[in-house]
Amino acid sequence: MSGKSTQRLILGRLLLLQAGRGRLAAALAALFIGNLLLLLSVLIWWNFTVLLSGKGSGESLGSTFLVIAKKVTNDNMGKKNATIFSSADIDAVKAVPQVQEVGVITANHFPVYAMMGGNLAFATDLPLEAVPDSFLDNIPGGWGWKPGDVSLPVIVSTQFLDIYNYVFAPSQGLPQLSQSSIQAIGITLKVGGEGRGETLIAHVAGFSDRINSVMVPQSFIDYGNSRYSPTAVPALPSRLILRTADPSDTRFTDYLGQHNYTTNAQNLRWSKMRSIVTVVTTATGGIAALLLFIGTLVFVLFIELTIARARPSVVLLGQLGYSPSALSRFMLGKFIPLLSGALILSAVSAMAAQLLVASAAKERGLMLQQVPGWPVWGALLLSAAILLLLVVRAVSSAISGEKL
Amino acid sequence: MQLTLSSLVPVPLKGKPGLSASGIWGKNLVLNRGAQVFVQAPSGTGKTTLLNILYGLRSDYEGQVQWGDNQLSSMSAEALAKLRAGKLSCIFQDMRLFPALTTIENLSIKSALNDGTPVARIEEWLERLGIAGKRDALAATLSFGEQQRVAIIRALLQPFEWLLMDEPFSHLDAANTLKAAALISEVAGQNNAGMVFADLDANSYFQYTQTILL
Repeated sequence: MSGKSTQRLILGRLLLLQAGRGRLAAALAALFIGNLLLLLSVLIWWNFTVLLSGKGSGESLGSTFLVIAKKVTNDNMGKKNATIFSSADIDAVKAVPQVQEVGVITANHFPVYAMMGGNLAFATDLPLEAVPDSFLDNIPGGWGWKPGDVSLPVIVSTQFLDIYNYVFAPSQGLPQLSQSSIQAIGITLKVGGEGRGETLIAHVAGFSDRINSVMVPQSFIDYGNSRYSPTAVPALPSRLILRTADPSDTRFTDYLGQHNYTTNAQNLRWSKMRSIVTVVTTATGGIAALLLFIGTLVFVLFIELTIARARPSVVLLGQLGYSPSALSRFMLGKFIPLLSGALILSAVSAMAAQLLVASAAKERGLMLQQVPGWPVWGALLLSAAILLLLVVRAVSSAISGEKL
Repeated sequence: MQLTLSSLVPVPLKGKPGLSASGIWGKNLVLNRGAQVFVQAPSGTGKTTLLNILYGLRSDYEGQVQWGDNQLSSMSAEALAKLRAGKLSCIFQDMRLFPALTTIENLSIKSALNDGTPVARIEEWLERLGIAGKRDALAATLSFGEQQRVAIIRALLQPFEWLLMDEPFSHLDAANTLKAAALISEVAGQNNAGMVFADLDANSYFQYTQTILL
């Protein structure tokens, strides 16, 4: 055995033998549990943030997108342009602090006639709308249109399909249709009129949970409105789509009420969940931080107790020529791997928890990442840095506190 | 490394009658490396106090102690540790072994501070001082005489320019004292080191260059 390894062995017996394995295990367990709870609370907050912001998939759980319109009342019904948003109205909505982005929903102001033959034969006038692409929850492949294209992609509200499948089709003896079968169907659209119209083939390219409408690319609506609209004046919108920071904010809902704007109240209710989750995760995080603080305190006290118990050895080693820094390095060399072990174990446990949560969420149709995101790693790094700092300080002050 | 004492007086001895007769307390002394100084000190005159001050274990004194260019009172714990590990060694009167370690472990922990004296050499010295059989015995189980010999060997297991000895043979018989003194002379000579040897009575264990009455 080399001199240095003998030295480490003997120093271990002199300085750490008094520590007590039980106390060490308890201190490490406290540290592990505190850190794990901290990571889990960050994990819960992060997962809810992902779900509520709708980043996971196309679902609208707690969507922050709202479509607003002016309420049709007995007073304004029949009045021309009563529910139109003027430029001033739009600017006012943009100025509301909770509103991050405003999109204009443009409707067609030209005739659109849809028809189809075969078993599902129908013929109807069709209202179309368009929103800027950034407001769509899903942008399907091949989305877009330019003059001359015969094929026109359409996004339909999932609610329309639900009404057809569960209400209309059974009552009329028609076959129910899956999303993929609908997408395979081509619908003939005749647009314009008075001898200068054109015919296109529309196909359903995707479905939207966010906007209850039949949507086509903005370029098509703009083209149709400029070419076939009977009025030369650009049409103003009657619906706006908003991206909001927190639609449940009472100042925002009060604003909507004061201006007599309507929206999907369900979205507001969902977004209430965001506030509840924030409160719950903040409380969990607070408790976790407290536990981590207690765990750290226990570990630091354990270190101080260990060094205090080894005091005669520390003093004599100093008299033999061992410097405080060398003794601190030796102690840290023993404690830091244990500390790192507890932290790594808590990180691995948090990763396992995320894997379980992701697979459980998947069964419920919610998409979550299988690996924790940066906020969790950030919390781990922060707690590791603080712990390391406290442990290094505890060891050096306890060692140098002994008069050598 | 030179040892310089300037008007050194321990606080507990301040104002004590007879202090002016001391060859050290309150005097200015310069001891050069290689000097073999015998400090003869009757009981109660502050022999252990002197060695503890020189080794940096006590700071309750007036005046100054200087090792080379370093003022002892202003040295940091790190600098003091470096001095003790490589230039200044000490045989304590009360031995100061780790009771829970064996003889060889007590010696290894000192030897490992520097490059490490080979175990074979340590064993040879144990043999010379007649305690080879106690190599693996716990220090707590050794007699005072055996502990004193372990403490002597330990002090020699490092490079040193000065060796401080506080009644190092107080528990040894005459034959063992001679063997220990011979080993100390030999190793001190190899290190070209000086020594401050404090004891009660006059003796000729070493070839003193200076004898001072404390």
